[in-house]
Amino acid sequence: MSSKRKIIDKLLQITTYFSAIFVVLILSLIFIFVIKNGYTLINWGLITNDYHAQFYNGGIEEITSYSNTDKPDFLTDNDYYSEKWGIAFSDDIDREGKTVIVVSYVAIDSPLNNMFDKNNTDNLDFKIENGNIVTSIKFYDKPSALSMNGAKKMIEALDQENEFREIVFSSLGGGIRGSLITTFYVIGLTLIFALPVGIFTAIYLNEFAKKNRFTNFIRGMIEMLTGVPSIIFGLMGLAVFVPLTIKYTPATSANILSGSLTLAVILLPVIIRSTEESLKVVPDDFRQASLALGANNTQTTFKVVLRSALPGILTATLLSIGRIIGESAALIFAVGTAVKDEISIFGKSTTLAVHIWSLMTDEPANIELASTISIIILATVLFLNLLIKLISRNYMKRINQGG
Amino acid sequence: MKTLISNIKNLFHFNNKREALDKIVKLVFLLATIISASFIVIIIVFIAEEGIKPFITDNNGIGRVDFWKFITGTTWLEGTTFKSNLYGVGYIIVNTLYIAFLSLLIALPIGVLTALFIAKIAPKKLSETLRTIIELLAAIPSIVYGLFGSGVLLPMIYNLAKSFGVQSPGGNSVLATVFVLVLMILPTITALSEVAIRSVGKEIEQGSLALGATKTQTNFKVILTSAKSGIFSSAILGIGRALGEATAVSLVAGNSRTGPNFGVFDITSTLTSTMLQGLKETIGIDYDIRFSVGIILMIVILITNRGLNYVKRKIGNVDVK
Repeated sequence: MSSKRKIIDKLLQITTYFSAIFVVLILSLIFIFVIKNGYTLINWGLITNDYHAQFYNGGIEEITSYSNTDKPDFLTDNDYYSEKWGIAFSDDIDREGKTVIVVSYVAIDSPLNNMFDKNNTDNLDFKIENGNIVTSIKFYDKPSALSMNGAKKMIEALDQENEFREIVFSSLGGGIRGSLITTFYVIGLTLIFALPVGIFTAIYLNEFAKKNRFTNFIRGMIEMLTGVPSIIFGLMGLAVFVPLTIKYTPATSANILSGSLTLAVILLPVIIRSTEESLKVVPDDFRQASLALGANNTQTTFKVVLRSALPGILTATLLSIGRIIGESAALIFAVGTAVKDEISIFGKSTTLAVHIWSLMTDEPANIELASTISIIILATVLFLNLLIKLISRNYMKRINQGG
Repeated sequence: MKTLISNIKNLFHFNNKREALDKIVKLVFLLATIISASFIVIIIVFIAEEGIKPFITDNNGIGRVDFWKFITGTTWLEGTTFKSNLYGVGYIIVNTLYIAFLSLLIALPIGVLTALFIAKIAPKKLSETLRTIIELLAAIPSIVYGLFGSGVLLPMIYNLAKSFGVQSPGGNSVLATVFVLVLMILPTITALSEVAIRSVGKEIEQGSLALGATKTQTNFKVILTSAKSGIFSSAILGIGRALGEATAVSLVAGNSRTGPNFGVFDITSTLTSTMLQGLKETIGIDYDIRFSVGIILMIVILITNRGLNYVKRKIGNVDVK
């Protein structure tokens, strides 16, 4: 072997190393990026809060007694406390990255517990709570205390006064509860539509259909669906399922139901193929034994063949869930992009993936919250992939032992 | 006719209850199959029905869109906003193909070399790990790639453009779009190429080694050429994905209204990103025109696919030399 040959060989080999390193780098970078940007927002509140903040104007009637509570020990130096009013504020950052003043403590005997809702005096549940965001406090005889001056200034201004005109505050928005619930709805509904049709088709093609041109034609038609990009499915949803659901349900626009139907079509080829593959490995002996024992075709299909194909169907279901969680293009058309807190299956909403798209196309884009949602999506998808691997490994083991 | 009637009669004539059940169940299965198969027709018919409207109606006074101008045009103006029927996707078609093939040009060598590394060079443990990594990359939803693109690539490209003295609008550019697509089609290409490389016969490999070729020579000259049909298939699938990708592209393309855009720092627009514009419309030309673009997208994908398959057959017939 000449030395020149050796050098060329080494160089060629090094190119493959670099390519592999590049691939690993991409995955690491994506993970680092979403975790770095998104981890600060991960907490329980994120998935229980509404997305849209509720704004309140709290007024107060004549004050009879002020608070007597000392500053509690669990409050830190960053919590500014007014003994007179029994309330503590602190500086924080909301889910859009803006600095805000957050209520960190309200004493039991605080006079602020007696505030009333200026916009809706019938609202008896009205109160200011931990986690609320204070925009401003308006006084009668001096300028308002604004949130941009910080929590310390605001509490000092409040402490000097014996009364105020109103406190403008809001709930902490930016939560993803609505999108999360929508995602669950969409997963459930899509599977309800897609699984029976897909499984039945697979059974028909594998168990009943004769090997002729008609069957091949049908197979070809189903196969063609896999090559269609998801945005085209979205258009189909917009042209077929949205008008259909508007006509026969209370829906007035694109809705969760039309989105689920659209996704069901996207998933059909996945489910059909996965089920068929697991049907193919069911040995013919099983079917013949069942028939020989006097079971008819239906019994054989449901009790013997389908039962043996269960792992394949389970894999198909998990694959489908992963696909539903990640799907965005089709759903932008078929469900809409409006982030909602009140979820109805006949209403507009967004799944988590579309929520990311909405956040990123807003001005300015909210990369932090989008990354946090991405973490949730990635974790789910990776978990599903692992589960599929485990199932198929167990299944292969069983087949090998059984066979 | 007679046989048909007797067939139908047969269908409803049962010898006993069990047979009836059998037939009904079979009918349900057949129905499911027909439903599954009919969707491709539904897609084509309904999208065509909506998409043809801008060319045959006067679009509420804006005027009929000229089909020839539509597919050759170099400007896209939102109709109702600008009161115009000046919709041209000609430049968008060129942009889409340009971006897709550019992505393939970058992703194919990286993907194939990675596949070669996994299949032939890496030790077994490392191959397993890499294979899992490829699977994970393939499982990442496209919107996350879009987020990564706009969060990481856009600022980088903005700075890069600045160092070349180009003011890039936020980094939205041809380059960003191509990079995002490279990341997205890389797992597809790698996974499929790896399968193709692994399925090359042992005797070919051993024959080459026995003739005195080095391991690396064998890998690059013999195995890659033997696997080229499979590698080509992976490229076809990859470009299909690149052409149809929507949300990720729409976050980094920058939405150019006139073109074609060839410069790497120019903003661009693809067929898919154009479809995602003007989402608020629910009626009228800006709603219908999306379907027209959808038809064009399907035709572009179909032609590209057919064309590449033709090329594949041509080069697939050449013997390994």
